Amino acid sequence: MSAPTPARTSTRKRLAWVFWVMLIGFVVWDFRTSAPIDLRDEPPLIAAGSGRSSSGGHCSMSK
Amino acid sequence: MTSAPSAIASPGAPALRSGRLPLSVVIAGVFLLLAGFVSIRQAVLFLVGVGLGAALAGCRFGFTTGWRQLVAERDPRGVTGQLVLLAIAAAFAMPLLAHFSELQAALGPPSVALLVGAFLFGMSMQIADGCGSGTLYKAGMGVPLNLAILPLFAFGSFAGSLHLEHWLALGASAPVGMVEQFGAGPALALTLAGLVALAALARWWVGPSRRWIERRWMIGAITLAVLATLNLLIAGQPWGVVYGFGLWAAKLAQATPWWDPAGSAFWSQAGHAARLSQSVLLDITSITNLGILAGALWVSARDGASSRPLGATQWLTGLVAGLVMGYSSRLAFGCNVGAMLSGISTGSVHGWIWVVLAFGGTLIGIRLRRRFGFDS
Repeated sequence: MSAPTPARTSTRKRLAWVFWVMLIGFVVWDFRTSAPIDLRDEPPLIAAGSGRSSSGGHCSMSK
Repeated sequence: MTSAPSAIASPGAPALRSGRLPLSVVIAGVFLLLAGFVSIRQAVLFLVGVGLGAALAGCRFGFTTGWRQLVAERDPRGVTGQLVLLAIAAAFAMPLLAHFSELQAALGPPSVALLVGAFLFGMSMQIADGCGSGTLYKAGMGVPLNLAILPLFAFGSFAGSLHLEHWLALGASAPVGMVEQFGAGPALALTLAGLVALAALARWWVGPSRRWIERRWMIGAITLAVLATLNLLIAGQPWGVVYGFGLWAAKLAQATPWWDPAGSAFWSQAGHAARLSQSVLLDITSITNLGILAGALWVSARDGASSRPLGATQWLTGLVAGLVMGYSSRLAFGCNVGAMLSGISTGSVHGWIWVVLAFGGTLIGIRLRRRFGFDS
């Protein structure tokens, strides 16, 4: 494992900053352009025992 | 060229290690914002994700690394940790699924898509040095290749979703859930027997006098199993990673004039269409993915990740592998988390098929990894 040089560390830091800025920018853009969140229709805090099935997407879904 | 994948070691980029306290404040702030403006459930799931990310990064719990160490070095410690994780998660999940009708298993269809997808995923995850969760936590820790791979993974997953109907047309059967078919007790017994069989195979491969247990893998296994169970109880569905990635890319594609979700067999389905119109902060896998990134970042604030410099060919190879990984994870109905961990622990037969094919792909991927000089 090579020790990080100052130049590599700086590039790493810049890349990480770009990543986080883009990610946060995406979430903010998405929040502003998506349908408003209806706070009165909150999902139950705990699905188990709530009587409401999950409506979330999952990787295992085929359609 | 800067750095990237391979092993993550403790001493790392000092610039990224600015202390955990400010990050803890930011995470607490995000939790409060989510609780106030999205939902309390999503805020709690974000914290579950933070825990998952901290466990993955803090214990260096890499599914990809564990498999590679077993194959290349005959070191079974990582795989032992994964088997323990699967056993504990199944012991929690299967009785819960039988008891609470609201909870859903991770049921994917046995299909040609699954066979091809799992094989390609197992191969590409070795080259990219990270599966779905591995890419997330290493990106959170600031490993350059994984930072660059994550968006490609997302677009690959989105592309896979666009082609999924054609892959399914090649042959697919209905998902098989062992808890539904046999009940929780027999399903758990079958699952544990399968895990013991895998451990016996590993024992045969590595031979005698090997160290099987390592503290960090065991702590990771127990912590991840508990958090995956919390995810199931709170969200009503098992932990997943890939769906969130595909959704993010679909959101971006939808904002362009070139793609209409109504023309996609996958995204025009009512549930997916609804999620496309909502904020990603309401999506379960998205919120835990964001939490994993934050949790890994929190860990890296003290224990940064170091990595070797990569050449241009290695960068290109790694990025292509990331794209393939995203595409294949959609065909395979999940990655090591969504298909293997969540599939097997909730009794889905597709999880077992996934493991066999992905391991076959890993055998090729390890050779390709060597060929491109990632291990030298």
